Amino acid sequence: MRKFLNGPWVLLMPTLIILTCIVLLPLLLSLWTSFTPFKLTKPDTLYRFVGFRNYERLIGDIDFWIAFGRTVLFLAIALNLELVFGLGIALLINKITYGQRTLRTLMMFPMMFSPILVGFQWKYIFNDNIGLMNNFLREFGVIQPIPWLVDGILANVSIMAAEIWSSTSVFAILLLAGLLGIPKDPIEAAKVDGCNSWQVFKNITLPFLMPFVFIAMTIRSLDVARAYDIVQMMTGGGPAKRTELLWTLISRTGYVDAKMGMANAMSYISIFLSIAFTFFFFYKLVEARQRLSYE
Amino acid sequence: MMLRLFLSLILAVSFFGSFSAKAETELWGDYSGVTLRVKLIGGGQYEGLYNEVIPWWEENTGGKIEIVTQKNHFELDKEIKKDIASGNLDFCVASNHTSFASQYGNIYTDLNNIMPASVLADYTPLILEHSTVDGRLVQMPRHSDVSNLYYQKSLYEDADNKANFKAKYGYDLTPPETWDQVKDQAIFFSNPPDFYGTQYVGKEEAIAGRFYELVIANGGALFDEDYRPIFNSPAGVEALQWFIDLYNAKAVPDGVLNYLWDDTGLGFASGTIAMNLDWAGWAGFFNDPENSKVAGDIGLVRAPMGSGGLRTGWSGSHSFSMTESCPDKEAAASFLWALTSNKAQMIEARGGLSPTRPAIWDAIIAEKKAEGDEFMLMVFETFKMSLAEDAFTPPLIPEWIEFTNVLYPELQAAILGDKSPEDALATASKKATEIMEDAGYF
Repeated sequence: MRKFLNGPWVLLMPTLIILTCIVLLPLLLSLWTSFTPFKLTKPDTLYRFVGFRNYERLIGDIDFWIAFGRTVLFLAIALNLELVFGLGIALLINKITYGQRTLRTLMMFPMMFSPILVGFQWKYIFNDNIGLMNNFLREFGVIQPIPWLVDGILANVSIMAAEIWSSTSVFAILLLAGLLGIPKDPIEAAKVDGCNSWQVFKNITLPFLMPFVFIAMTIRSLDVARAYDIVQMMTGGGPAKRTELLWTLISRTGYVDAKMGMANAMSYISIFLSIAFTFFFFYKLVEARQRLSYE
Repeated sequence: MMLRLFLSLILAVSFFGSFSAKAETELWGDYSGVTLRVKLIGGGQYEGLYNEVIPWWEENTGGKIEIVTQKNHFELDKEIKKDIASGNLDFCVASNHTSFASQYGNIYTDLNNIMPASVLADYTPLILEHSTVDGRLVQMPRHSDVSNLYYQKSLYEDADNKANFKAKYGYDLTPPETWDQVKDQAIFFSNPPDFYGTQYVGKEEAIAGRFYELVIANGGALFDEDYRPIFNSPAGVEALQWFIDLYNAKAVPDGVLNYLWDDTGLGFASGTIAMNLDWAGWAGFFNDPENSKVAGDIGLVRAPMGSGGLRTGWSGSHSFSMTESCPDKEAAASFLWALTSNKAQMIEARGGLSPTRPAIWDAIIAEKKAEGDEFMLMVFETFKMSLAEDAFTPPLIPEWIEFTNVLYPELQAAILGDKSPEDALATASKKATEIMEDAGYF
């Protein structure tokens, strides 16, 4: 006992207690509720164990799997486009010698808007009747209004545009930090040896940046559910479920229908999605770092 | 409680502003030292009442009101559901609605046991009936809503419109009496993308409610007496086809399936919509030249009839409830009374909202007559008749909102052409059956 009290466990105890209270217990509670028919408005249902019934229903629920698939697609496209645009912005800002700090600050502006506000402003931009986009297009002769937030493909593209506008700067900042940390010697040596800009970028800059790319990807893949507010504001997952993502479906099931047990079962299935993305990006991160140290 | 309170139940004739209503039972008391925590619906149309009634109540009782939450009804609904789940009902009074009330179980107290009968006698009996869940009066009605049809008068007075319409449809162009006429006229007036014949709220409970009232008007029903869904019927298909036909004819804006109440209200005020089914709360806004391009050019008729010969009349009432856990129920009862008193209802009626006390209907109509405000007089007379003769509530069951959440995506799918009306209603009916089975109705 004395050994225990003098050991490192005592020092770790506050952290362990806090983590247990704020992470482990809520996780266990939500896992338990996923095995119950728990309704927010009927607290007694928290104690009725129904086994895997919620999961069994979800396995046969085509709407859930369509939303699941759409979310995977949304994540894949949005994150990759954010990476491409973020990398482009970081490379451009890295080239600037005057006013770089001001531009870096300006670049962070979209991050300062709350997702709800971003959703509102992009809903207005894509409004079919009074929106900026259709009025702009009208100046160029597109008389018939485009139903941006109704058409299945356009609605998803519109939401993606809002999400990309809001979050590209996260990539840009992280990649800019990476660019600033790249040693100048290999780049100068490559130029002396006659490499062109593309060859320098492909063979020196990009390998150095890859760990930052995967760190940014990991952070964003975990953080991307913040886009819930954007989707909720712009379309609410509709019309006719055309923009339904896991986040809108889970939120409606849990809070509007009050079926928190079912919503938590959905969440636990979707956690596998997050784990898969995180695992993949960490694997790629380790690989990139190993390659970098080898080279 | 007994030591510090004396509940004064007095009959008094209230005089305030420029009107006098009939004798009202007042519910004052000395609540010095009492603070009531309240959760209220927020937003421009709702908050004016609080600014006047809360200081009035505090001044007359010595009590204090602490507003814990003030947010839109859907957010408030989520918050209260979370409060129920966590058992954290540390507030006394909350905004409620007749369509939502049955979801909340027994958290709200039965006001039949608290409000004196003479106070309850001041409200419209049918509205109190709608405010009752499982025999318990869980809410005091604040104002009621039902929708009637606003239209641009000049369109109906235009000689060319009259002649062209008659030539095309074979009957005179007059404000519509049936929903089929609304469809004809909406298609006739539409000139997209600059002008549309009508519009509808296109998602969530809003479109589900509009579908519901049209099914009833067509002679159908959503459920049988055991709550088995029966809306996949000729009346249901006919109702859904009405939405589809307008959408396909471009007689409504393309984005209508994302519209909610603000979108339709602002749309009509923008002058680009010929007819708009909406509640009385917009009337003042529509006729205000500062806000509306159709001010001075607005007509209003009772909601048209469906093929079953009934008028649409989906109705409900905003209300206030008192929690069972409230430690100061007498003070809370006094505050509930104040929020729905003659004074409070007159404040809201002047903004166009429909009162739940018969005395205020008489008072507001008398006031508008005296002022010579023909437009608001027409509004109040139309809505009074509509609430008396056409109004009906949605099924007052806890599953109503959950049911609308499975219905509306299917309605949208049919309107967008992803499914036939029959397929969409069959899918919605199957999902609704599961909800009702799970809830133990059959």
